[in-house]
Amino acid sequence: MKGTELVLKALIDNGVKFIFGYTGGAIMPIFDEMEKQDALSFIMSRHEQGAVFMAQGISRASLSTSNPRTGVCMATSGPGAMNLVTGIADANMDSVPVLAITGQVPTAVIATDAFQESDVVGVMMPLTKQTYMPLSVDEIETTIHEAMYVASSGRGGPVVVDIPKDVQLQETESVCEFDARSCEPQLPGFFYQPSVDMDRLKQAVGLINKSERPIILCGHGVISSNTGPRLQAFAERANIPVAFTLHGLSALPVDHRMSLGMVGMHGTVEANRALMNADLIISLGMRFDDRVTGNLKDFAREAAVIHVEIDPSEIDKNVKTSVALNTDVAQALNLLHRDPALVSKPRTRWFAQIDGFRLEIADQIQKEIDAGVGREGQLLVKTITSRLSRLTQGKDIIVGDVGQHQMILARFYNFQTVNSWFTSGGAGTMGCALPMSIGVKLARPDERVWSVSGDGGFQMNIQELGTIMEHGIDVKILLMNNGYLGMVRQWQTLFYDGRYAGTPMKNPDYGAIAGAYGIPYLKVSDLDQVDDAIQTAADHKGPFMLEFICDPSEIILPMVPAGGGYKEMIVSID
Amino acid sequence: MTTTALMNRRAILAFMLDRPGVLNKIAMLIRRKMYNVETLTVCKTNQPGTSRMTITLREDSDEKMRQVIKQIEKSTEVISARELDMNESFWREVAIVKFEADEDRMEVLKRTYQFEILDRRDHELYIVQVAGTSRLIDDFLQDAGMDRIVEVARSGFTAMEK
Repeated sequence: MKGTELVLKALIDNGVKFIFGYTGGAIMPIFDEMEKQDALSFIMSRHEQGAVFMAQGISRASLSTSNPRTGVCMATSGPGAMNLVTGIADANMDSVPVLAITGQVPTAVIATDAFQESDVVGVMMPLTKQTYMPLSVDEIETTIHEAMYVASSGRGGPVVVDIPKDVQLQETESVCEFDARSCEPQLPGFFYQPSVDMDRLKQAVGLINKSERPIILCGHGVISSNTGPRLQAFAERANIPVAFTLHGLSALPVDHRMSLGMVGMHGTVEANRALMNADLIISLGMRFDDRVTGNLKDFAREAAVIHVEIDPSEIDKNVKTSVALNTDVAQALNLLHRDPALVSKPRTRWFAQIDGFRLEIADQIQKEIDAGVGREGQLLVKTITSRLSRLTQGKDIIVGDVGQHQMILARFYNFQTVNSWFTSGGAGTMGCALPMSIGVKLARPDERVWSVSGDGGFQMNIQELGTIMEHGIDVKILLMNNGYLGMVRQWQTLFYDGRYAGTPMKNPDYGAIAGAYGIPYLKVSDLDQVDDAIQTAADHKGPFMLEFICDPSEIILPMVPAGGGYKEMIVSID
Repeated sequence: MTTTALMNRRAILAFMLDRPGVLNKIAMLIRRKMYNVETLTVCKTNQPGTSRMTITLREDSDEKMRQVIKQIEKSTEVISARELDMNESFWREVAIVKFEADEDRMEVLKRTYQFEILDRRDHELYIVQVAGTSRLIDDFLQDAGMDRIVEVARSGFTAMEK
């Protein structure tokens, strides 16, 4: 078989259905082979960055289904591969398994600055879990199997396989017999399924039983190990409130009585104050990002910390743990939940204190949402989000871009479905939402998907409207247009004396753009039209775009200033 | 980089698959995390396909040491990585030294040190190989006379636990 055939065979053997990408000189042979088969569907993005986010969408959305898959993207050498970099770095920060296959110039001219040559392995190495360059056709299949295994085992992450063009074209007699379920490449010391240390588990249960003011921090690991319902059962049994990191959201219904909502820089007052006052932090599958901890010197000084984490290098990295459980969150939760020694304490005082926190700015926020518009009469993203949440009963899938609207979505969409919230967290890559929503919709075709962006991020991958048009991908696009880069503007309002440097922007006629791509569109500037517009988009079969004219002066509070501690949390600016 | 003079020398011993790019990966990790690396040596082992890497760095913080080891261990190719107990291991270096010496000085050196003469030119220009502890090599260089040394090549550390 030829190298190109082996690439596709290896992908099909791994259960791949979609390939996102963009062709070019060095990857053409593989694309040519793709044309001869029908087991794989090819989706052409309009920019390689779009292709990585589509692949991310597949991985992120499918992990809670019966068929979890690693998304695959493909690009040519040089600029093609370089355009993948941002999306790969994003996947690395958010622990999302992705396989990127790139074409490389022929081995004979590698390192001669050949046309469209870049050192892909060199560039990608610090941004990936692993990089490969097979130098013979006989390595292709085993390399792709190992790459898929590495990407998806333990803490997920991106893997790049850079295949020189001449290797793609080589022929071989040797073909792998492969079974994805039993594939374990020879990688001694790489990944072990860490088992729970029972002594430490006992210590953890001891700390939980002793604690008067515990809090659970639910991170991305709870979503990745698909164990939201078990967390809910554990929180109910042990009677412990749960706060979510940005990526922990949607692990359990956000209006559940144990839920405190999101924690961190733009977390809820109740989550942040509870974290500040806790005597025990049980952190599950999260990495104490600076947006969660604020200034580490002031973080949780009174609290013991139980850290459940599959990646040992995260333990004790930012926050010193009292008890570390290096294991899969699902496994740890299972054992904790079933532990006969676990006591359900009423913790009445703690919950009463939390109820107090809940009320702190609740009125102020409700008033704002009810008003629906800012001083100039333009719509508030908070209100639009609340309406969207109500009309969809919180059951739909939300793909958020990056910025102020993202924090508002995280705070005000009432997530009810497990694993229904996707966004770029660690890297904070503007423009992620539109392409990611395409992958999400393909992974979960029976659910409604809303892609929500600001006018800044939307224009960063606006070209993917072409992909949506071509394949009729049924994504509902919500554009929160306030004519500014909203989050930076908010910082400028609060910390830069209102000098709006580099944030205002003259926008195009989005209706004309949607029209040019044949996507039905409505512009909404009146509060009265919001519900009808959302309903129209929801009911429409196929893609639909809504542009909301939003208030640039809207602020998302509370806010823990960057570098500050929770004590400095801003809850009101009036 | 920060001043290293006052910090303790520590050593990490790692075993890894002999694959392309491993050294690059470890070097990049060291750069990114800004560890103060002193020496880094890589060699083959008696296991085919496995390499052995000895890294010495200046670091006082146990936490930072644990973090660097975990980061190294995380690499796909790394089989194991751990800190060497300085007091429970042998540390050796090899140095090749080109220096000028007259007969008298060579006699003095021969009485104190074991070394192999690799080359001798014009009766007074020697190239010798000295192996031993880092201290021994330092002492040899001192006794050979810093002003007489033309060139020194030191291998960096290799180490083994008792």
